[in-house]
Amino acid sequence: MRQLFHVTPSGWAGLGTAAFGILILPSLSNSYWLSVFTSMGCFLLAIAGVAFMYARLGMVSLTQVGLMGVGGWIALRLNHAFDFPFEVNLALAATATMIFGWILALPALRMRGLYLALVTLMAAGGLEIIFATFQFPNGGAGFWGVQTGSGAAFRRPWIAQSAQAYLRYVIACALLGFLCIELHRRLQPGRAWALIRRSEAAAMAAGVNVTLYKTWAFGIAGLLGGAAGALLAGSLGLLDDGTFRASESVMIFALAVVGGAHSWQGALVAAALYKVLPAVLNIWGVDANLSFVIFGAGLLHAVITAPQGIAGQLLDGLRRLSPKREARDA
Amino acid sequence: MRFAKRIGVASAILTLSLGTQAMAEVSCGMNTGQAATGAPILVGGIYGNAAPGDWSSSTDSAAAYFACVNANGGINGRPVDYRVENDQWNPEAAAQAAARLVNDTPTVAMVGNGSFIEMAVNANTYEAAGIMVMASACAISECFETPNIVSTNQGPLSSNLGAAQYAVEELGTRHVACIGLNIPNNGIWSCQAVQDFMRARGGEATAVLINPGAPDVNSALLEAMASGADTILINQPAGIALAILSAAEEQDLRDQFNWIAPTPLYDQSVPAAVGAYWWGHIYVNAELAPLEVNGPDAQNWIAVLDQYGRADDPRDSFGQAGYLSARFFTEAMLAMDPAQLDDRAAVGAAIRGITGYTSDLMCGPYYVGDADFHMPNHAGYMVKVVEGGFEIVRECYEYDSPYFEPHIALETQLGLR
Amino acid sequence: MRLARYGNWLLWALLMAAVIGVLGWGGRPQMVGLFIASGLAVGSLYALAGIGIVVLYRATGVLNFAGGAAGAAGAMTAWQLTAWGFWEPLGWLACLLVATAITLFYGRLIAPRLAWRETVVKAVATLGFALIILGAISFLWADDPRSISLPTDAVGVRLLGMRITATRLLLFAASIGIVIGIWLFLARTTIGLQMRALASDRDLAALMGIPILRVETIAWAIAGLLAGFTGLMFADLIRLEPSVITFMVIPGIAAAICGRLENLVVVLIGGLSMGVIENMLTMSPVLRGVRPIAPFVIAALVLLYYQRGQRLTFGGRD
Repeated sequence: MRQLFHVTPSGWAGLGTAAFGILILPSLSNSYWLSVFTSMGCFLLAIAGVAFMYARLGMVSLTQVGLMGVGGWIALRLNHAFDFPFEVNLALAATATMIFGWILALPALRMRGLYLALVTLMAAGGLEIIFATFQFPNGGAGFWGVQTGSGAAFRRPWIAQSAQAYLRYVIACALLGFLCIELHRRLQPGRAWALIRRSEAAAMAAGVNVTLYKTWAFGIAGLLGGAAGALLAGSLGLLDDGTFRASESVMIFALAVVGGAHSWQGALVAAALYKVLPAVLNIWGVDANLSFVIFGAGLLHAVITAPQGIAGQLLDGLRRLSPKREARDA
Repeated sequence: MRFAKRIGVASAILTLSLGTQAMAEVSCGMNTGQAATGAPILVGGIYGNAAPGDWSSSTDSAAAYFACVNANGGINGRPVDYRVENDQWNPEAAAQAAARLVNDTPTVAMVGNGSFIEMAVNANTYEAAGIMVMASACAISECFETPNIVSTNQGPLSSNLGAAQYAVEELGTRHVACIGLNIPNNGIWSCQAVQDFMRARGGEATAVLINPGAPDVNSALLEAMASGADTILINQPAGIALAILSAAEEQDLRDQFNWIAPTPLYDQSVPAAVGAYWWGHIYVNAELAPLEVNGPDAQNWIAVLDQYGRADDPRDSFGQAGYLSARFFTEAMLAMDPAQLDDRAAVGAAIRGITGYTSDLMCGPYYVGDADFHMPNHAGYMVKVVEGGFEIVRECYEYDSPYFEPHIALETQLGLR
Repeated sequence: MRLARYGNWLLWALLMAAVIGVLGWGGRPQMVGLFIASGLAVGSLYALAGIGIVVLYRATGVLNFAGGAAGAAGAMTAWQLTAWGFWEPLGWLACLLVATAITLFYGRLIAPRLAWRETVVKAVATLGFALIILGAISFLWADDPRSISLPTDAVGVRLLGMRITATRLLLFAASIGIVIGIWLFLARTTIGLQMRALASDRDLAALMGIPILRVETIAWAIAGLLAGFTGLMFADLIRLEPSVITFMVIPGIAAAICGRLENLVVVLIGGLSMGVIENMLTMSPVLRGVRPIAPFVIAALVLLYYQRGQRLTFGGRD
């Protein structure tokens, strides 16, 4: 039990970062940065899901943004159909997306490596078309709930009506997401995943139900993606299919690798690259097209030079700075 | 054509410094000829430029007009600091642009906005912040059916109706196939209006929807053919419209249908891009006066762009609309109490008070009024694509549809009828 | 084994006939014909994109997301040269050259630095390259209505009262010709043999002294040429918009999946079937809105069909 709740130095740093994000960051930010950081928080949660699958099981999901869209769709649908509070919508959207992730996983799990990645890419392509065709509910009638003219309002959580409070809320949700992953890692599923990652044959021989645990992992990625989508819907009040293109799903995975899939810092770096870098380039007045070029070049550079991701590089740098730590680690 | 842009900017600066006298006289704001030096007045603008379309021509023209105003005494000696942001067709970027321009900057109004999504995302932000938006290139229903946005252009709904009305009255159309984008507040909204209109005229209309993410447009064209229509309304941004026309050319469908389109095809690069096959066969509704009309305001717009804009700023309908929004805004500001120029609420009230402004670029008067919907511009021209340009086939005419009943009631109330 | 293969073909033919029959039921035969002709053109483009991907993947192990972007760069160059008044064939040649140069640049300078990474990471890295190209093209050529037309557009044949341009016939013939050409190349030439050796076992092939660098360079060049040709055809037949051409690779990957990333004939047939079914869906009032989903659904079904009967066990390498 002590082991379960033991907080590692990295864990302390993570909690500290979250505390900074919740307590200090919102009051430092103006409206623009609040909006940027809120979307960054939503995507952080989604990236956490995709990075976790990659780091723990070596499974590549190229459909995470599509799953966000599913979660966002469900949250909007519930919001406009019923009077549930935001938390209920969030929980239902995340759960339904988790189930969606399972359904997606069952046939996909026979595949490995590139083929698994490709079948998820096909799912992302399909979801992109579905979102573009049916759009996101905005208070209209019928199952698809789309109306023309301005849409109905989306209810935010009652404790987080203002932009500042909503940013805090999103960061708190992201923290919960990371804790959920960490908890799984320290319990039975984590041990099973470690074994599967090493060798599926060995895992099977050891009596691990490989299908169950792989599906479970997919479900967690779906849960986090769905929650991220619902939170994004709460941030904007509406969603647009342009956010959920298949290419964005590929991009999210690429950034998770670039940031470093093995640590929370990596997910944070990835989310910052995805949302904060373009915002900074925009403020500097860089042409939106050129910032694409800078973004792509940065991505390539990081993939080439940083095998453990940017976070891994940074952490190595820190370790080198403190020789005592190095000695202890050795 | 950014190569050309870079060279163009350089040569524009050169001509500006060498031979300003040789250029046409411009008329902007107070026309003092003196640069404004006072504290700047902050004005914002949001445009969308990313695939699949560039809507920046409205903010480009507005920026040129404001530069001209600033060189001519500004607004009672105070220059306009016009700040624009690109929404990149991305809802989050659109929300961030509004956060930056409306919440973080004490702008007094937004002028010249042109976008496909920005208004849907930000309509509530504008209302909450109490800021008026004098948009120019609006393509979605929120631009015309919300309290804080008024747009100089007509949007797809009106422009479609204008084109369909012309086709019914002049081309003998009975059945229109409206090829729209499968976006509720754009294609579906505007094609629905055509269906209502055709039914009211005893004809019929079929909506054919294209998924914006789908590359292939040929199947939509075939679907339109299969519907039994005699007229095809290409309710699309110019890029996709060109693709439809080239697919139709390939199958030699030109003479089997009448081809009509709303304003996006009124672009000077279109006649060359569609090619000789189509000259004389495509009828386009122009929301604002075509270049051929060339009234004093149209000439002034071109002169302003020549002297204060970039060489490749598009000379199209949306550019005209951006210029007009900026001009009307400047007039309203000049008519205000100079002490209140930094007060968003007072400026908003002044904009709502605009009534009866005229220009030869617009068929009717421009007004705003205190309503939950705004569409001052619902009369236009019809032009035909010909070699090297467009030919006017019908002068100013008002569109006849029940959709405009509340607008007409408001105009009567404001004494504009 | 052979029986199973014929069985697959039979199943495919039956399914295609069923889909066309169900969707086309009640429609005018001429319309069905038009939809099939239109679908074959789109399908050829999917197939060409898929063939480029498969050739490169087999020889180098890189799944290239940047082929569409290279084609877009080529097509925009061709447009620019024509707009400047150059002789048109020069523009087409430039299209092929630019696409090949861009692809070779990646293949020679960037891909080797990633050789040690996993296949999936190598694949997503090419997306970064695609973004660089797309951003640069969009910066150089601001969005504006543009089009390219080939002289073959003016020539056409009338079939059942419909006009089919020579461009479409050319594209269809080219996609078949390219498959045959590449098959002959792989089967009859030394380089082709070496490519097949690399495809079946890279490490072993390297040990045997196969000049990997040379073989890979040739594979990248073939992929670049194919990308340029696809881009030009796409610009003529569909539309000349860089972002649309760039993301054309995703349905191209769907076509490649149909051939399990190895069998070019199946890639071709798969791509064509996708195009035809996508267009035929227009005849269904329910499904017409979601017709672009066809390639993804088909690819996912094909993948599942290939995996049938396999148990979740210790399969070899991917």
